[in-house]
Amino acid sequence: MKRMWRGLLAALVLLCVAAPAGAHIGNKDVFEQVSVGPYMLFITIRTPTVIPGVATIEVRSSGAAIDSLTITPLLLTGEASKHPPTPDAMKRSKDDSQFFTGSLWLMGTGSWQIRFGIDGAAGKEATSVPVAAAATAILKMQRPMGLMLGALGVLLVLGLVGITAAAVRESRLSPGVAPDEGRRKRALIAGMAALVLACFAVYWGGKWWNVEAADYAADMHKNSELKPTLEGDRLNLRLGDPDVEAPGGWLEVKNSDMLLDHGHVMHLYAIREPEMDAVFHLHPEAAGKRGLSMTLPDMPAGTYKLYGDVVFLNGFPETETAEVTIPEGLSKGSLATEDAEAIPAGLSKGDLGAVYKLPDGYSMVWDKPATITANMPYAFRFTLLDASGKPAGDMQPYLGMAGHAAFVKTDWTTFAHTHPEGSAAMPAVMLADASTNGANSMAGMDMGEAVKPVVEFPYGFPAAGRYRVFVQMKHGGTVETGVFDAEVK
Amino acid sequence: MSTAANHPPLFASSETVTHVKSQSVGVPWYLWVGVVSVSSATVGGAWDVSWHRSIGRDSFWTPAHMAIYACGVLAGVIGLWLVARATFGSDEEMRANSVSVFGLRAPLGVFLAGWGGVAMLTSAPFDNWWHNAYGLDVKIVSPPHTLLILGIRVIGVGILFLILAAMNRAGEAGAANYGRLQWMFLYIGGLMVGGQMFFLQEFTDDIALHRAAAYISMAIALPALFAMFWQASRFRWAATVTASVYMLCILAEILILPLFPAQPKLGPVFYPVAHFVPAKFPILIVVPALALDLLWQRVKGWKLWQIALVSGVIFTVVLVTVEWPFANFLMSHASQNRFFGTMYFDYNSRPQGYDRLRVFFHPQYGLQLVKGLGVAAVCAMASTWVGLAFGRWMRGVQR
Repeated sequence: MKRMWRGLLAALVLLCVAAPAGAHIGNKDVFEQVSVGPYMLFITIRTPTVIPGVATIEVRSSGAAIDSLTITPLLLTGEASKHPPTPDAMKRSKDDSQFFTGSLWLMGTGSWQIRFGIDGAAGKEATSVPVAAAATAILKMQRPMGLMLGALGVLLVLGLVGITAAAVRESRLSPGVAPDEGRRKRALIAGMAALVLACFAVYWGGKWWNVEAADYAADMHKNSELKPTLEGDRLNLRLGDPDVEAPGGWLEVKNSDMLLDHGHVMHLYAIREPEMDAVFHLHPEAAGKRGLSMTLPDMPAGTYKLYGDVVFLNGFPETETAEVTIPEGLSKGSLATEDAEAIPAGLSKGDLGAVYKLPDGYSMVWDKPATITANMPYAFRFTLLDASGKPAGDMQPYLGMAGHAAFVKTDWTTFAHTHPEGSAAMPAVMLADASTNGANSMAGMDMGEAVKPVVEFPYGFPAAGRYRVFVQMKHGGTVETGVFDAEVK
Repeated sequence: MSTAANHPPLFASSETVTHVKSQSVGVPWYLWVGVVSVSSATVGGAWDVSWHRSIGRDSFWTPAHMAIYACGVLAGVIGLWLVARATFGSDEEMRANSVSVFGLRAPLGVFLAGWGGVAMLTSAPFDNWWHNAYGLDVKIVSPPHTLLILGIRVIGVGILFLILAAMNRAGEAGAANYGRLQWMFLYIGGLMVGGQMFFLQEFTDDIALHRAAAYISMAIALPALFAMFWQASRFRWAATVTASVYMLCILAEILILPLFPAQPKLGPVFYPVAHFVPAKFPILIVVPALALDLLWQRVKGWKLWQIALVSGVIFTVVLVTVEWPFANFLMSHASQNRFFGTMYFDYNSRPQGYDRLRVFFHPQYGLQLVKGLGVAAVCAMASTWVGLAFGRWMRGVQR
């Protein structure tokens, strides 16, 4: 019996895997800076790895004083986006009156928004932050828990045997009568039968458990597949999912199923392996109803890791990944107007430092924290300096934002493309903004203001390790890409 | 070959050596507490399901959970008291009315209830881990929930056996409390029928009542209980009474729960809810139960397998004949009122879902349905046979 329980637990442990997926690769948490009326909030939403699961939410206020904050989970689109459940009050920290915490259940995989109700001296306001909820992990059963459940299981089995034997041996005897030898024998047989039955029940329960676990694993989120092919100097990309009912067992995603993000269906980062010594931010365009395509610029030969950001109609973002090998002299083309590139020193050459010299004499500076801790929210600040070392004065928005940043772990397991307003995908932010009647203003999006040479990116590194950071800002028609390294503890 | 009429001696034992009879004509306090404990779990279970359909989010301390825990606590109190008295005390009557399991003595029902309590306890960390590993369950029938429901049900069985043993002894002694014990037995039996239907509700939802699976599941689950209670209680309307207890409980739920306000605390909310959402209208099982009672009153001389064969057919035919057209009524506007309650929906009922649209889920017709109902009839036969045989065995339980 113990062996059976152990087998059950071992089978479960085998299922205990974590699969990074979703909006960014390996980055599940959302970091946003929101300005709504006179209120300014730095919001961190830590999404659960199992769905349904609990998202924990932290808010730091830096604007007008807030009396109370509420949080409400809604789907981002559709009927359920019109019916908010009862809001929950966030808890104000005893030690820091500007810091609030709360938690919410996200009950299904999909594109959600967390709506924040703000009440303070400056009146009531509301804003929403999009959250992509997807099951990405199965918890490993801890040994003490397994042992405890195993012990209780053994107790239940033995109890069943003892009770069955007692029922046969004595329960039908008149009060006070002692059981004879025949009854004792029948009790022994009945107890053994109960043991066999209990073993069968445990076996059947284990099978059922495996089926449930397999169902859950099958429902875990899987990003669509990205299939790149080269046709001369053109890069063709097909996006799709395995589907047994589709011709060839693969269903290609329609371009009309995706929202435009800053005017593009896909934002594609191509980073050369293994040194991360060449990076391109490209924008393949729709090629008919399905598939994307673009003429490649002049790229150093080598194998590139591709990270393609897309956002589906319901606001659910995904980063699709693939690899492509660029042969020597494939293309002599130049970059498109909205594309960007950088050719930094390789990873093996050491840390790139806090100042990155750009090809045109400009430089980009990172106000890099002395230490960076995993899972801590930061507003990483970068400044573009002109050739004389002064803040650049001819700044322009790049793809509608003051800047874009990509945080990539050097083992290629995590990738996040973020903006000054935060790490949520921009089309999803716009859907969330529409749901609150556009009351909020995301940092870096207010194009009524002149673009400043200083930009902040709210972000938290998801795990310890070495990362390379690519930051893009635009001035005088030139898109600059600064490259930095970070050692996260 | 055994027959239903050829029962083992109902009130006599040739092995009597030190026959201890209860002089009490009242019902022992612990039996009343046991009845309260099972009732508490029943109310708590229904309340909890409604809570999840109306409010969604719960905690360890919700009133519905408290009612369920109360079942375990009350059963634990009487169980420990009886074990202490029978094992270590000087109460000879209690000791004489007990069985021995691993050196401890108590009535058989106490050990059954104790087993159920351990199963409930085991399910708690198991379910918690399950939520962490696979997310919060959105369905009733998951392995940890099954263990919890099994635990609650076995506590009910334990209380039923406590009453059964007292009832059988009272019958033998001709005690005045026999009738009261018999009704207590049938009441707990009715709650067990309700428990059985609770477990089946994912198969017997009103939109699924034009599928054979609904009738197969009921054919497996119900005739065994009806037959068992009919045999063990010696009451000629046992099936009708126990089915009525189930139906009355659900009707009470429909009439009472919507009186209390409730709002969803979880998203997504597809259907705004302003009060507690009750269970769906009960299945009309009282009709096939009545048919079985009438049959069993007339076939006491038959062999068990003969009774089972006829019972299986009658149960299935009567149930389908009554429930199939009634399901049409439940899909109609005429049933959207406070009594039939088909206008109540969960907060997360999708607008385009079968339930909200009031249309049957993949209804079956023709040969497929006939085959399915044939399977139901065979299941009902087997279920009846098991119930009759076990119920007959239960008649002899003294401790």
